[in-house]
Amino acid sequence: MIDVNPQDYDIVLKIKDENDIAVSRQMVKSFAQKHNFSLADVTKITTTVSELARNIYRYAKEGYIYVRKKETGADKAVSIEILACDRGPGIENVELAVVGGYTTVERSLGLGLSGIRRLMDSFNIKSEVGKGTVVAVEKRRRGF
Amino acid sequence: MKDKIISRLDELVEELAKGDEQKKAWEDFLVDFAEVCGKADFKEELKAPISNLLQYISEKELSEGIGLLYAKIDNFPAVDIYKAFIEVLGEINRENQMRITELRDILAELATPIIRLWQDVLLVPIIGTLDSQRAQSMAEKLLESTAATRAKFVIVDVTGVPVIDTIVGGFLIEMFSAVKLLGSDVILTGIKPEIAHTLVKLGVDFNMVIIKRDLESALTYAVSISAENTGRKLLNHERGNADED
Repeated sequence: MIDVNPQDYDIVLKIKDENDIAVSRQMVKSFAQKHNFSLADVTKITTTVSELARNIYRYAKEGYIYVRKKETGADKAVSIEILACDRGPGIENVELAVVGGYTTVERSLGLGLSGIRRLMDSFNIKSEVGKGTVVAVEKRRRGF
Repeated sequence: MKDKIISRLDELVEELAKGDEQKKAWEDFLVDFAEVCGKADFKEELKAPISNLLQYISEKELSEGIGLLYAKIDNFPAVDIYKAFIEVLGEINRENQMRITELRDILAELATPIIRLWQDVLLVPIIGTLDSQRAQSMAEKLLESTAATRAKFVIVDVTGVPVIDTIVGGFLIEMFSAVKLLGSDVILTGIKPEIAHTLVKLGVDFNMVIIKRDLESALTYAVSISAENTGRKLLNHERGNADED
């Protein structure tokens, strides 16, 4: 789907089985805490990673999550960027999947992607059927 | 071979061992090695000494030691030793895997105690990460005990759950709905402020259950309701129309 250079990122997580979800959550949580995000934002970022990892595990079976700290603008505003990539089945109707309440499997609320969009400051998704899905999200650190 | 090793034992041990505590281990290993050397099932016999040795030194040190012995002693059967070494590592690995599986089973048993807190009130404190397997076994256990104890209230406390995402939320909602089908009420407690905000953003809705701030208020509520019911029953009984209940 897109070319990612793992060296540009602070954390690279491979998602392959269910335990990886908890591990990735923990890694990103301590990463966000290290960069002084507020408790509420740490929880939001952690939850987002958890959702993304679960999506990968559930639909694509295998994929990667990349995390990095970014500093943008003259005032060096800190943000965390998270990229979730897989080569899974892709999403047929991306717009529908992002609205919420839409799911293709049983035992799912279908709220993951729409929830992530509300939890984070920016949200981008690219998906092609048969090729895979890339979700890129970003959360800015708020001043106190 | 045997004589070669025994005659140079002290010298070899001196070179192999890093630190005094390793000396005894290497010495034992070399003596055992000299003993089994040349036997038909030499490789099998070596496994026990190797695993003993590995309790005192790391794999890297052993590997280096084999290299050193190979350089020092003519015709040293390094290949056979490596074969035995790899098999021993495989056995250790399998043992560890087994232990992990065992621990997971043990954890699953410990994971969800269901406590009878009061007459007609059950408490389920959930601690740690919920994966699909754990959620499944927890729901089954809870439904069974709810039916068996005929509890009127089930208090589910999530203080120990670090993150509630849509999947965990989904598990909980499923479990709550099932408990309600048994005719019991669910009281949810222990949602932390940051999780509350996240849940709202995610759109996970627990409106099918009663939510209380903490265990204390949940228990007060449950007890007051059951007490009220019991009181009404007594009153009705006095009036002679107990059938109404």
